[in-house]
This record gives sequence, C-alpha cells and structure tokens, in this order.
Amino acid sequence: MKKALFLWGGILLLVFLAGCSVTTREVASDEKVIYDEGYHFSDKKAIVADMSESLLTKHPLVRSTQRPVLIVYGIANRTSEHISTSAITDDIRQTLLESGRVRLINETQRKNIAAETSYQYGGSVAAETRILKARQVGARYMLTGTLRSIKKDQPRQFRLTKKTLMYYSLNLELTDIQTGLIEWADSTEVIREASKPFIGW
Amino acid sequence: MFTPFQAGLTYLCRPGLLIFILLFMLVGLTGCAGRLNQASALFYSDQPESSLAELEKGDWFGKRNQLLFFMERGLVLHQLGRFQESVDSLLQAAEVIDEVELLSVSEQVGSLVTNEWMMRYKGEYSERLWVHSYLMMNFLLLGEYDSALVEAKQSLELLGRYPEALGGDYFTRGLIALCFANVAEDNDAYLVYRRLAEDLPDPTPVAADLVAISSRLGQLDEVKRFKRHLPKPFPRGDGELVLFVANGKIPRKRPGNVVLPPSIRFSFPYYESTRTPAIGVSILPLHLPLPALSSDLAAVVVRSLEERKASIITKETARVAAKEAISQSVGNDHGKTAEAVVRLSLFLLEEPDTRSWQTLPGRLTLVRVPLPAGTHTIRVRVSGLELFDMPEITLPEFQLRPGQRIFHSLRY
Repeated sequence: MKKALFLWGGILLLVFLAGCSVTTREVASDEKVIYDEGYHFSDKKAIVADMSESLLTKHPLVRSTQRPVLIVYGIANRTSEHISTSAITDDIRQTLLESGRVRLINETQRKNIAAETSYQYGGSVAAETRILKARQVGARYMLTGTLRSIKKDQPRQFRLTKKTLMYYSLNLELTDIQTGLIEWADSTEVIREASKPFIGW
Repeated sequence: MFTPFQAGLTYLCRPGLLIFILLFMLVGLTGCAGRLNQASALFYSDQPESSLAELEKGDWFGKRNQLLFFMERGLVLHQLGRFQESVDSLLQAAEVIDEVELLSVSEQVGSLVTNEWMMRYKGEYSERLWVHSYLMMNFLLLGEYDSALVEAKQSLELLGRYPEALGGDYFTRGLIALCFANVAEDNDAYLVYRRLAEDLPDPTPVAADLVAISSRLGQLDEVKRFKRHLPKPFPRGDGELVLFVANGKIPRKRPGNVVLPPSIRFSFPYYESTRTPAIGVSILPLHLPLPALSSDLAAVVVRSLEERKASIITKETARVAAKEAISQSVGNDHGKTAEAVVRLSLFLLEEPDTRSWQTLPGRLTLVRVPLPAGTHTIRVRVSGLELFDMPEITLPEFQLRPGQRIFHSLRY
C-alpha cells in the first residue's frame, strides 16, 4: 500500500512541477511572433514601413525641395481593440525625420514650450539668452489617419476550434493646411486568420 | 493480485476518504464567497473604502472567483471616482471572460461530481455586458473617447450574440450610440439609435439624435419621420451635460432545490423578482433634460439567466446521473452503509451556484441635459418612489464649450 501511495504522490508531484516551469527567450525586433488574430508589434512595423515609404516617394513630398513642415496628429482608433495608435505616429514621425526630407512640429510639447517661454520671460533668465518670441514655424501639411478593423467569426456549429478572421486597415492623409486639399492619401492592410480551441485541460 | 496503480486507485476511492475530500472541497469552494459578500455589505452600508480594502486584503482569491473580484473591485473604484484604476480592473475582468470561453475538461469533470462552485465564474451574459458598460462610462469620464468606442464595439458584439437576453438594456444601448456620436461616427450611431427607436415603446428618447444624424446624412425621410416624436418643449443648447445615474441594488441570486427520493437533488439558481422604479432627474438652475434612457438591471439579468436555462438543466441532469452512479458503485463494493454515507455527502454537496456581481445597481439611467456654452454650477435632484428624501447633489463647476459633452456619474 505504501509503495502505491509513493507512486501516486510521485506522479502528482511531477504533474505540478511540469505545470510550474517558466521559460523565457529573447525575441529579435524584426522577428514575427504572432499568438492570435489580434494586432501585434510586428504589424506596427510593417504598417509604418509601408506608409512612410509611400508618403516620401509620392506627390507632394517627392518633388519638394524645401523640406516642408509637417504636423502629425493622432491616428483615430476605430477598431474593437485597445490599440495604442500613438505608437504608430511616433514611429512614422521618427522615420520621416530620419529621411531628412521634412521638418516636423513637436505638437505634443506645445504646452511645455509655452511654459518654458513664459519662464524665460519671467525675470530669472538673462535677456541675451532668452529665446525670441513669435519665431515658431507654421506647419504646411497635416498628417492624420484612421485605423479600422473588421472581425469575422466562423458561424456557430459543432466543432472543436473557433476560427476568427481579422482585417485591419490604416488610412493616412496629408492635408495642405493652406488650401484644405488632401494632397496624399494611402492605406495599408493586415488580414489574419486564427483558430482557437474550444476545449482545454 | 493488485498492481500498485490499482491499489492506489482503490485507496483513493475508499468511501471515508472520498467523503472527507468532498466535504473539504465544499468548505474550500464557498470560502472566498464570504469575502465578496462582506465587501458587498460594506459597499451598501456607504463604506466603499472599506469595501475596497476587504477586496484587496491580499489573500489569494483563487481563479474560480477571479472574475467576481475584478468586477466588484472595478465598480467600487468607479464609485470612488478612481476611474483609471476601475478601467484597469474591468479590463482584467474582460480578459478573464475571454479566457473562460475555453471549456475546461478538468473543471467540467470536477463539477460533475461536486457542484457548479467548482467552475470558474463566467458571469451572466448581462454581467459581461455591464463590464463593457462601466468601461464605456469610465473612458468617457476620463475623456478617452477612442477607448470608449472600442468598448462600444465590444458591447455591440455581445448584444448581437444574445439579443433576446440583452436587448432590454436600453441604457447600455444608448451609451453605445453616444460613444459613436461622440467621435462623429454618424453612420454607426444612426444604426444603434434606429434599432433603439424600433425596440423602445416610444421612440421619443432617441428622436432628437435620429433627427440630427439623419439630417447630417441627408436622409430627409427619416428627419420627417422622427420630427413628430421630438419632445415638447424641445430642450436646446450649445453643449451637453451627460449624467450616468445609478440607483437601487441588483437582486441576489437565490438557491432553488427540487428533491426526489432516494437522494436526488436538483439545484438551480434563480433571481428574486424585484423591480427598481424609474427615477426623475431635475436640474437646477432649471434646464430641461432630453427624455432619459433607463434599464432595470434586474429584468435584464433575469432574462440572461433564462437564456442559460437549457444548459443549466442539461448539466444538472448529467450531475445527478453521475452522482447516482457513484453512490450505486460504492454500495455494490462496500455495502449499504457506505452507500448511504456517500449519498448523504453528495446530497449535501449539491449546491446551486449563487455567485453574482453584487455591487451593481438596480437601475441605470442615461440623462442628457443640453446647456448653453459657458460656466455652470449645476445641482441635481432625483425623484422617485423610494427616493423622495434624497439630497441634492452639486456638481463641480465646469466650463462648457459649444459642441462639448461633460460627463458625470452619480449613484443614489
């Protein structure tokens, strides 16, 4: 009887130990790691690369010689997931800056710039080192966009897995602030199917 | 000659040990529910801080009640005005709801010989919807309108899946439309309002929105159709004050039992039929609100449980059959006395799952008050059958710009 109990105890212990083991591994930034049909970091990389290339190689930026000034506004999230679209705009901003073809307004720091300017004119800063007021550059173009998604679940029927089809599209527009005309627009898509089991241990 | 495996199995299946294991499980399974009940009692005795402390005592709540913990915590934090923390807790609740969609074999087998308390709490369909409702409210209160829209879309998906059970939640449906309208998604807002107009006994509460949106979309026949239903007098303003008004208390789930000889016990949860009366909201200084959209949460949760009735009966029947088979098998192997003891313990172990989200209100009302642009100090007075002595609430002073919406959440 004791032998049997030891055997059962040993089996139980092995099961618990197997369940508790933790593994980690480094993931390269260009490696595609996809767990489900949802939005992943590798999607952001692909989207940003596509859109930045299109923006820089098409009218009006491709022909401009004077490094036009752009302001990048947020991308509206119209998907059914909590996706940080500011991560997309941050990366687009960085890619555009690295290209050296445009100049960008730091819209997110406007309040801080105003506060710092007020401080410099508050009496504590030497007059010759103060920045000059009314010297900020106005933007010529405004970059805006919308991220949308459509989710389609496989119809209900007797099966052991559930398939989901996910479609994401990012539309970007470049608007000439002076004329109000859309000077450039493009979109990129990610379509993914995933299947999830209905039954687990 | 027994092999060690058979010997172990025989040892584990001894009636005395089996009874001990089963009774131990019964005590363990219902343990966490006590703390949730205590937190709910503190919440309803106007001690939300103590309620939160009870929930966050640091003890391990266990996976089975994890969803309840996140939902209760999210609502208490909402009540305390800690909207971002409430969002975090309710998003975790939404994650758990996704996880429990996976049918767990071990839980199912375990619950077949014990009771439903063995299972991870999945939430009634209505409770799952209200996770999104409170997330929508939180995001609107935080000014995160894109995130509110995400929750609106997830709510719509759930409403589409269980239209019969959830269709009567006019508050959430109105909130969904508001989330769309708030980010100028006119087409989607129109679709939600249009369906509401069809389902409401009278389309007046949504007529103003349908007229405005249809007019922008160029649907002149719709404008003409819903103009007839505009409230008279029609309140106008440059912007809007939006109030989420909660009152009353959602009914508790109760245990129901049907006993058949010799020891068969069918157990099932049910909701007491209670009704939280509709309330009237007046704004001082006097500003007329638009007709309110209101949901009696008790009615919705009762319909949700009804929707699950077939699956509850199927599972209960399977459990009764499994327990009868175990009792008979013990009787054959160990005699009548052992069988009687096992029957008694399995009978006692049969407990209906009465877990529920207890801090929910009995009624949610969406009140929209058009106001002129400028600075406002608004007092809110609520009238209703049981609320005649409710004090006025003075909202913090706010500045309203044309086209802007200001959100506030109140609970009576």
